[in-house]
This record gives sequence, C-alpha cells and structure tokens, in this order.
Amino acid sequence: MNPLLIQFLAEGREFLQSISEKLLTLENDPNDSASMNELFRLVHTLKGNSGLFDFPEMSRVLHAAEDVMDVARAGQVTFSRALADQLLEAMDFVSGLLDDIDAAASDQLPSTHQHATEAARLGAALRGLMTQSLTTVAAAASEPVSAAELPVENSAPAEWVVAISEAVRMELYRRLDAGETLYRLIYQPEEDCFFKGEDPFFQVIQLPEVHWRQVTAREDWSPLAELDAYRCILRFELILSADAADLAEHFRYVPDQIEIFPLTAAMLVVPTGRAQAEPMATDFVRAAQTALASADYVALAQATRTLLELSAPDLWIASALRWLLLLLDLPQAANDGLQLLLAEIGKHLVSQLPSAPLFAKSGVKSPLLPSGKEEKPSVEKGGLGGFISSDTLWSAQVVLEAQREILTLPNHPPWLSGQLKAVAASLTGVCISLGREAELITLQQALETALTEAAPQALLTWLDQQTLPPTEPLPQFVPALSVVKSASSAPATPAAPNEPVAFNRRAEDHPSSSPTIKVEQVKIDRLMNLIGEMVVAKNALPYLAGRAENVFGVRELSREIKSQYSVINRIAEEMQDAIMQVRLLPVSFVFQRFPRLVRDLAHRLGKEVRLVMEGETTEADKNIIEALADPLMHIVRNSLDHGLETPELRRAAGKPSEGRLTIQARQESDRVLIEISDDGRGIDPMVIRHKAYEKGVIDEATLERLTDQEAINLVFAAGFSTAEQITDVSGRGVGMDVVRDAITRVNGTIELRSQVGQGTRITLSLPLSMAVTNVMIIASAGQRFGVPMDAVVETVRVSRCAIHTIKRRLTTVLRERLVPLVSLNELLALDTLQRTNSDDEFAVLVVRIEGEYLGIIVDDCRETVDIILKPLAGFLGAVNGYAGSALLGDGSVLLVLNPRELL
Amino acid sequence: MPFEAKKTTLIAGELLTIEDAESLLEWLLKHPRGQLDLTACTHLHAANLQVLLAARPKIAAWPQHAPLATWLHTALN
Repeated sequence: MNPLLIQFLAEGREFLQSISEKLLTLENDPNDSASMNELFRLVHTLKGNSGLFDFPEMSRVLHAAEDVMDVARAGQVTFSRALADQLLEAMDFVSGLLDDIDAAASDQLPSTHQHATEAARLGAALRGLMTQSLTTVAAAASEPVSAAELPVENSAPAEWVVAISEAVRMELYRRLDAGETLYRLIYQPEEDCFFKGEDPFFQVIQLPEVHWRQVTAREDWSPLAELDAYRCILRFELILSADAADLAEHFRYVPDQIEIFPLTAAMLVVPTGRAQAEPMATDFVRAAQTALASADYVALAQATRTLLELSAPDLWIASALRWLLLLLDLPQAANDGLQLLLAEIGKHLVSQLPSAPLFAKSGVKSPLLPSGKEEKPSVEKGGLGGFISSDTLWSAQVVLEAQREILTLPNHPPWLSGQLKAVAASLTGVCISLGREAELITLQQALETALTEAAPQALLTWLDQQTLPPTEPLPQFVPALSVVKSASSAPATPAAPNEPVAFNRRAEDHPSSSPTIKVEQVKIDRLMNLIGEMVVAKNALPYLAGRAENVFGVRELSREIKSQYSVINRIAEEMQDAIMQVRLLPVSFVFQRFPRLVRDLAHRLGKEVRLVMEGETTEADKNIIEALADPLMHIVRNSLDHGLETPELRRAAGKPSEGRLTIQARQESDRVLIEISDDGRGIDPMVIRHKAYEKGVIDEATLERLTDQEAINLVFAAGFSTAEQITDVSGRGVGMDVVRDAITRVNGTIELRSQVGQGTRITLSLPLSMAVTNVMIIASAGQRFGVPMDAVVETVRVSRCAIHTIKRRLTTVLRERLVPLVSLNELLALDTLQRTNSDDEFAVLVVRIEGEYLGIIVDDCRETVDIILKPLAGFLGAVNGYAGSALLGDGSVLLVLNPRELL
Repeated sequence: MPFEAKKTTLIAGELLTIEDAESLLEWLLKHPRGQLDLTACTHLHAANLQVLLAARPKIAAWPQHAPLATWLHTALN
C-alpha cells in the first residue's frame, strides 16, 4: 500500500473521530458556531483528501455531507437530531469504507463501487435535509444504467446521425447486425471540472473500442485573447462497443455529466447526399416495391445495383441505394426496414428540386466530405487547375474528394465494377469541365486496370498522381520556410502564466499545524528494544570491572571502568525514561469514543444519561491504554444497560430522571486509576447470591457464608449474567470475567463497590508502564529465576522446625497468619530438595495471589533488578508458569516466573 | 518544460498538463500563425485540447501515439 494511502487512512480515522465529537458537541449546543465551523472544515478536508484516491463513493457521501454542513453553517438549516443522525450514519459509512480499504492492503486500490448504491442513498438522504429553497443538486444515482431505463431516441433522423459518415454508419450497422451492443455516449464535463482535477479528455481517450468520435464545444469559442482555457465547454460524443455497466463504472465520478443511448440499427439508415433529380428512380421504386412484396430479393438487389451504377456516387439516391444493398446483404435485415427505406426514397423523389445545379456550392456540406479541405484549393492549381474560377475549382475538389472517399471504402461491395465505372465517369466529367482532356487517356487506362484487378487501387493511384495536395505539409520543410519568413520576429518563448490561477480553496483548508510528529509504533518499539539492549550492555561493565580487579589485578582500571559506568548508566536511564515518555498516551485516547457510545446506547435504551469525564489527560503506556479500551467499553455498556434505570423508574425512586455516568482517571504513584461510577440501581447482593446459586457458580454453604462484598464480586465469575433478558447491548454472560482477565493481563486490578439504589463504582488500577519490570532474583536448584516484585509481599527466613504439615500440606505461621508453603523445586518439577542456610532456615518468598498469601520456598533470595521483560516467543510461548525472559548484565538469561500461572 | 519553442513551431513534450494550457495559449496568442509539433506527445490535458480547438493552429506533425492522433484528427479536422 502506498504511504499516501496509509497516511490517508490514519488521518481519515482521526477526522472521523473529531467529526463525531463535534457533532455531539453541536447536538448539545446547536448554536456553537466555532464547533460548526470546525466541523465543516473537518468534513471539507476529509472530502478533499478522499479525492486524492479512487474512492468516488466516499467522496460523494462526504461531498453531500459538506454541502449540508455548509448550509447548516450559514444558518439556512437548523442543526437537529435528525441531521446529526444522518451525518453520523454517513461517517459510519465512510469509516466502513476505510476499514474495507485497509483490509484490502494490496498494492492495488480496492474498488469500492459495490457501495455505490449505499453511497447514493446516503448522499440523497443528506441532501434531502437541505430545505427546498436551496438549489438541491441532484444526487445522481450511480447504479449502472440498465438498457430498459435508457431513453430511446425517436425514429426521425437526428442531426448526430447525419454527422457520421456513411461508411462508418454502414460499419456500425454491420456490427449491430452481428449482435454487438453499441452505445452512443455524450459526455459534457462541467465547467469547473478542471479545478476538481479531472481530465475529461483523458477519461474519454481511455475508452476502448470507439468506432466514431466527435469533439465539439458547447458554445462558440471566444476570441483567443479572451479565452478561458480553464472553463471547460467541451462536448464529447462517441459511439463505442461497451457494456453499459462498464461505462457507468468508467464515468462513475461524473454520472450526471454523461448520457448513454443504446444504438439501434434503424437509427443509422439515413441516406445522405446531394439531391438531384434522377429520372429512373421513380421507376426503380415501383419495381423495387413489387420485388419486395414478392420477396424477390435477388431481383431487388439486381435492380438496385443497376441504378447505383448509373447514379453519381455522391447523390442522395446513390446513398439510399447503397443502404438498400447493405440491408439486402445482411440476413437479419428486417423486411420493413427495406420497405421504410424504399418509402423514403419515394418521398425524397417527390420533395426534391427538379434540378439542382451541378457542382453548386450547397448550403449543407455533404457529410461524405471531410471538412477542412476547403482552404487548400490554391494548391490544386499545380495539379488539375488552369485558369479556372475558384468556385469551379472548389466544386471539382468536392467531387474529387467524394471519388476518393468512395474508392477508399474499406470493403469491396459486389457492385464494385459499377462503382469503379461511376467513379471514372465522374472523373471524366471533372477533367472535361476543367479543360484537362489530356488526362482522359490515362484515366481510361487506370479504369481498365482497376476493373481487371477488381480493386480500386489503380484509380486511386491515378487520382493521387493527378490531383490532391498532401493532406499535411511536410514537417521538415515547413519550419525551414518559416525561418525565412519570420527571421525578424522575436524569439518565441512561451511566457510564464502572468497570474496564478485562482483555485477556489477556502481559508479553512489550512488546519493549524501542531508541533507534533506521527511516528509508527514499530519505530518506538525498536527504540525500546535498543534501549533494552543498551541497559543490558551497560550492566556488563560492573562485571568487567570486577574481572579487571579480581582476575587481572588492575585496580586502577577497575575504578576507571566503574566511573565510566556511572556516566553511561545515568545517560541510559534518562534515555530509557525519555523513550517511556514517548510511549505514553493520554487516556482520552480511549475515552473519546464514549460520548458517541453513550449517546447511541442511551437513545436505543430509552434512557437519559449525562456522561461526565474527568482526567482525560492522565497518561499511561500505549499498551496499557490499548488493553483498556475493550474492558472499559464493556463496563460502560453494563452501566448503561443494567445500572442506570429508565427515566420513569428513576423519578419513582426520587432521583433526577437523567442518570449520571462518571468516568474518572487519575494517577497515583506509579499506577493509573480509572473509576467508572453511575448513580443507578446498584447491585443487590441478595440477587447475586441467588443467581449464582441457580447457575451453580456457588454451592449452598457458600451462599450462606458470603459477605455482601464477596457476593458482589461474584459478577466476575465466569458465565455470570444478571440481566433478565439478553439484549443486544449486553448480558450474554461473557462479561465481567472477560473484563477482569483483560485487566489482569496488563498487571492491573479491578475492584467493584456497589450500594443498592445508590449506584455502582468500578475502580481499575493499572501500572503506568509495562516496559520495565522490577523483579527479585531468587535461586533454586542452582538456577536463577526472577519473580515480579508486584506479587512479592515479603521475604523471610523460616526455620525447618517452624514448618508444619497440615492435611499433607506444608504451612507455617507468619505474623499470626497461617501461610501455606510450596517448594519451588516441586512446582518446577526439579528433582532436588530446597537448601537451607547454615542455621537450617529456609528462604521463603511470600507472594499474594488474588488476596491470598502463599509462601514459596526457594534456596536463596537475591537482589531486585529492573529488567525489560520479553514474553516467551515461539515454542516457548506455550509454556505456562513463566511471565517471560530478560537478559542480565553478565549476558545470562533470566527466566521470570509468573506465580499465578505456576499454581 | 513541456515545450520547446523554435521560432514559429512549438514542439510539445510527452505530456501537456493542465498548467501547460496557459503557456500554450499564450504562445499561440503571440504567434498567430505558429505551428505545433506534437510528435512526442502521448497525452494532453483537456484544457490544452480546448486551446487547440479554439485556436486551430496548424499542426506541423501529429502525435505518434495512435489513440491521441486519432482523437486529435477528429477534433481538429
């Protein structure tokens, strides 16, 4: 995935978070214009960023949201719950898209078009919120255009059809006949599309299988000096074979700027050409209709061919006849198609003028002619022209072009011989009228060659020799010429744009830059690892000093090493501290999601809740904070679902109808305390007792013996749920035990206090940082182990005679308390007895596990050290009883025990 | 620099971006009879196309890139 996208995803989530925060703020105080502006800025920026990537659905929804915000900001729409709901839903949609994109995680940007319908719906819903007095921009649905929905052109020959040359139309007709689907696409990019980073031309040029194309302007071009190149008035029109869905996908950013029409064969059959009386045509129509009625297609084709040979190829009638032949030629051609065409020929004959002047400059340019050649008649003079009026020359040019066009028609119809003859006849006419009779002999020869070869090549060659100027000036020649012409003109240097283009960016686009940088966690972790190694390496120095003194007997060197060590030690410790600081995150990282959660849940449960959060700036290690997220979420849900009552119940109990949920964070020495309290109904110990008994969590004896507090703590037992009904909010019995486990995993504790009718308070206590662990080193069976200091209560020496065996378990009395004893060698299945010191006393490490004291007999207790604990990885990861391992200063590995797991 | 100006001929580079439309327009204003050599060009932004359509300069050489050449031929003829 490219770095830009990664950054977008990260920032996008932050934006979404801020957006929902602002929405909630605004819901409480709709007149907070500062928040409103900030919200608009956030939505606007997010939309802008999303535009960098290929996610039109996201941009569309955000765009709609931005519009709504813009209107709301201007005060034209009041900020309401409905508006907030709609915006939140839109943001959830965007968030979902972000997740999808993140999940794809490939080099290719995932396509999000499957969400197009949803995006359109959200967009429409958002825009629906804008009042009707405002210009509602049509939320263009981007569903693929199905053929049924496509507007069908009426049968009258449209202008666009005539604009397509006959040859191309015939080709299209054949394709349609062969079963291809063709579409006519009109793409009119909006005027300010360039400012949105669109390139309509690129969009269009990317389309495959374009059979016909046209680029025009929607309005007349203004004089060049006044031309605004950045106001797009282009209009693209093309005919292509494609799938309607693919087209919709291709233009999914601009669905409102394209029109797609399916092409039907009937649309294309429009004869074009010069109108001229054709005496034989009337007879032909009559004969053709008879032939058609008797389905004598062969006769019809024969008659058509005959007439075609006799007609000048650029005549309307010739064009009609060619169509007729094509229709006859193609098996699927419908009978009524032929009939229609014949009827049209008939109509044409009646309507046309008796005699159109030959070679006259007709008002309508013959579409058979490629335009743009008109300016070049002068070049002609070297070829065919003598001293002839330019009008005649132009006409000759037209005729010659037409002949060329006919000769270059890609396929050779069965009436080729007639066609060739007709062309030759036309050319003869031209030669005579231009007074170039001398050419007639070569023309005749060319015609004969062409006829024998059954290919128009010879005639074309003749035409080339005779007449036409090169269609393009030779590039290498022209510059040379212009050098002479404009030798005095100033050297041409394209001037730099004299003023910057005014992009309509708004001032709000520049978020206040903060002096912070974002760093990936991996990098910090690497720093952590490095400093860990540094500490270990540093700790090797005292050993070295010891060796220098004891082994090599150089006292002086030993002292110097020690003084160097103290310097390095200080720096390393500061460095370690600094890196720890970097890893600290404020608890607001977790807290920030609660306003939305509480709001949504309260709405759903029909409760009124006021959420109070305190101490959000309290900091703790990132891992701790992250581990906190889910348990906290769970606790808050529980409070809302089970703790707080509905407004009616609360009023009946004499409490304000609005419940209060407080989340507090504070630091106490090296621990972070988080308190979640509510003023709800509290937990009734009696109910808990009975539930627990019913579910078999406790037996009858325990039921009687439990104190109220102990009973309340039963909610932490696995599989315990008090809710009468399982709701979608909570109450599936995988509740507080999961919470407790999650908290213990990061060496935290959880405490629950509750008063019936008064509320519940849950206190979480967590270490500030998990990175450095203080462990006590103990020795047993000749090995060293570490035990986390959190668990250690005290270390004592117990003489062998003070140890008693009760129920086959070793116990001793310590400070008037009975403490069970276990031997570490036994726990680790080491086959040696614990050693005592010279006074026959055992070293006992008293640990506290879940409020119970336990003595672990070891061989010796040594010093405590700060270590960087690394969890056991790989195969060792599955081994129970160890919290992890750490490197000691002398390079040896210390295994750190986990007393809880060990037992 | 996407252009190379040679007296009355502007030789376009491989890609004419949206910013180049401005330069193109100015050059054409200065050289009303200037010609364009598009041989190397493989794509030009639609804004450039607009300028070409409006100014209709003489194209001394069409692009070698076939799709672009086809389109330009249709657009400018």
